[in-house]
Amino acid sequence: MTRIGRSLYSMIAIFISTLLLTGVSPAVADDFSPFNDQAGIIKISGGTAHIPVMKAAAKQIMQRFSDVRITIAGGGSGVGIKQVGEGLVDIGNSGRKPTDDEIAKYNLKMFKWAIDGVGLVVNPKNSVASLTTAQAKAIFAGGIDNWKALGGADKAINLYTRDTASGTRAVFWKKALGKGEISAKANVVVSNGAMKAAVANDPYAIGYVSVGHMDESVQPVALDGVTPTLETVKSGQYKVARGLFSNTQGEPTGLTKTFVDFLFSETGQGLAAAKGFIPVK
Amino acid sequence: MKSGRWDRLVMAWAWISGLVLTVSVATLLGFLLIKGAGTLSPALFFGDTAPLDALLLKRQVFDGIFPATVGTLLLVGLAVGMAVPVGIASGIYMAEFAAPRTKAVFGLFFDILAGIPSILVGLFGFSAAIFLHHHFSGQIAPCLLISALSLAFLVLPYLIRTTLTTLENLPRHVRMTAPALGASKLQTIFYVLLPQSLSGIVSGIILSIGRCAEDTAVIMLTGVVATAGIPASLLSGYEALPFYIYTVSAQYADQAELMRGYGAAIVLLAVCALLFALTAFIRHRLADHLLYGVR
Amino acid sequence: MRSQSLIQGLLAVAAAGSVAVTVLIFGFMIVLGLPLVTSGAFFNLFTSSWLPNEGLYGIVPMMAGSLFIAGLAMIFSFPLSLGCAALVAVLAKGRVPALLHRLVRFMTGIPTVVYGFAGIFLLVPVVREWTGSGSGMCILSASLLLAILIAPTMILFFTDSFAGVPGSYLAAADALGATPVQKLVHVVIPCSWRGLTTGVLLALGRAVGDTLIALMIAGNATAFPGSPLDSARTLPAHIALVVAADFDSLEFRTLFGCGILLYAFTTLTVILARRIVADKGGAP
Repeated sequence: MTRIGRSLYSMIAIFISTLLLTGVSPAVADDFSPFNDQAGIIKISGGTAHIPVMKAAAKQIMQRFSDVRITIAGGGSGVGIKQVGEGLVDIGNSGRKPTDDEIAKYNLKMFKWAIDGVGLVVNPKNSVASLTTAQAKAIFAGGIDNWKALGGADKAINLYTRDTASGTRAVFWKKALGKGEISAKANVVVSNGAMKAAVANDPYAIGYVSVGHMDESVQPVALDGVTPTLETVKSGQYKVARGLFSNTQGEPTGLTKTFVDFLFSETGQGLAAAKGFIPVK
Repeated sequence: MKSGRWDRLVMAWAWISGLVLTVSVATLLGFLLIKGAGTLSPALFFGDTAPLDALLLKRQVFDGIFPATVGTLLLVGLAVGMAVPVGIASGIYMAEFAAPRTKAVFGLFFDILAGIPSILVGLFGFSAAIFLHHHFSGQIAPCLLISALSLAFLVLPYLIRTTLTTLENLPRHVRMTAPALGASKLQTIFYVLLPQSLSGIVSGIILSIGRCAEDTAVIMLTGVVATAGIPASLLSGYEALPFYIYTVSAQYADQAELMRGYGAAIVLLAVCALLFALTAFIRHRLADHLLYGVR
Repeated sequence: MRSQSLIQGLLAVAAAGSVAVTVLIFGFMIVLGLPLVTSGAFFNLFTSSWLPNEGLYGIVPMMAGSLFIAGLAMIFSFPLSLGCAALVAVLAKGRVPALLHRLVRFMTGIPTVVYGFAGIFLLVPVVREWTGSGSGMCILSASLLLAILIAPTMILFFTDSFAGVPGSYLAAADALGATPVQKLVHVVIPCSWRGLTTGVLLALGRAVGDTLIALMIAGNATAFPGSPLDSARTLPAHIALVVAADFDSLEFRTLFGCGILLYAFTTLTVILARRIVADKGGAP
């Protein structure tokens, strides 16, 4: 080989290996290319279940495009819908479908990019791992207040619930508890992450959390014989499911539209799956 | 003798109080230091981004507390920058120009301002932001500027009070010398009184800096968010150390994040310890200054 | 001189502006909370429980939560602070007073959120195991931590007022052969009751106004607390939690009711404290 040929060959080799090493494959590069000439800020707030996916997406986008900035806040589904409706943020996430009133009032456009479930969780050290709907209702209403009534230790049940802006709570209350009462004595936490941390740290806790958030630090509780996992939500066997929505006011334009499209792209859906949710595509 | 036993009881109570206080604080802080000591490293601040790139703002930092640190620094700078001129000016007015009636009334208001819970200042900032958003410009929302303004309101009373107290405690002969030489009131204030009060005023400024750095309630309501990177403009969301610590404590996603929380707590503690040492240094340095006399 | 009155004017504007801020904050709360009165929900605010689903926005449980947590914290903290102040000012000799005083001054700079962070991971599990019931996130945990938080304020106030006792009184006590304890109990404390009361009032204001400790540690349940081991919510924590709600709704406007209550309480403590100091002829 000539000298030029050799150096050309090595340049190409280095170029390809760099591409491979930085994980940029041709298909993936396509998903990010719409961001190429864009600049600006995307403000996101709302559902806390969405946050891991939002953070991962933001990281990947901002690492590639320094002119694009994404700020992410939590607050719960109610906050997301309200803030996007008022124009305080560009994208409002919600873990429940916005009501017809909300859609009409704010002219919301909804984009469901993943499916998630809401499941009961207890501490891994708890021996109680299965409950009937009737038992769950009684526990959260305050009727059953000791673990020994369920075959566990002789300790008081520590209830944890979410704040009223939470979409996770709305779905749990409607579908799992059948709109039953949630005791006012329950500890209130403000996000899925907070629920997970609380239950993981309290041996006698019970709470409810997004299925995508469940990991080894908490133990899912089977409801009427069905354990809330990715598979049972996907198959429809576990009934307490909800969509993860990103809402905008009116049709999204510009950078916001690019981001929403990104969520439905192969990379975006891959991120949703990686974080424990069920992609819609 | 009965008084002997009573004496011993009271002594015991005093010593036990001192012990309980010391042990409590030592336990709380020691716990944090022990748990978090291992996290102190550039990785805590910069995650997996190269430090130089992050510092030159070429690349964003993820999984590190650098954005929160920068957010806090910007916040403190803005808030104190806005509050110091107004606070010192008000203090000077109170000390030198205000009539007794005015002074009493204003003094009451400043004390009330000092006593307002920080959450109410935050609520005010949030409501004002929404009000402006609706009635002035859709661009305005809870953001860095609103937070800085709210924090400025929060620390204003500290600055006024320290300026006022320092000026009032100046010895009389210092006040009388300059006018005796023909200086006007303004000249006396700016050439004699203020320079003499500098240490007190600087202590007040340091106190305000500390207050702005550690406050969480105000910023929670006025624009701090969980993830924002380095704020691009005054009207954007931002991160801050105290809020980072609060968020991590409530909802850490994994052990790594929890450890970063410990690290952030240590960093914030270190900042406060630094400010404390600075204040002590200023006080110590001027302890033998004529200004303080014999304490 | 023109420039003199100009500068004087500027200074006056600064001072007046600062006063205006105080009034503005109060004004905003009144104006934005007005719909509460017009819609008739105002009375409910102070009599019923927090049941948003039924349209009841009573903040009685939060008022109770604030009262119990702050009250219990004062009960823990007052003897502690008095003892420490006694130790620093009167009873101990040598290096101890100075060191303790320095520690207390350092404590005033410790961020509340750091206390809360340590509290969640150290205090809450300990309380949970000790009491055997509850989640550890309760009134007791919050009060203990709050007591440590407000102690430095009280201690510094107390030591300052102890230092203000006239030297002649102390000399007289010594001449009569009083022990340090007798001097403390019979001379120093009675003489400094004004400073003691002021310190207590201001620490109480601080305890009621604190947001983070209760938000992170007390559990935030909406029920009226029945025991120190119950989860409870304070007024400031309630504001922090509900501010996320719809800000045109009645639910959000109840926050201004909370705000007015808190504002009124802290203003009252400030006025009382000033009264006490003024009676003695102290500074404005």
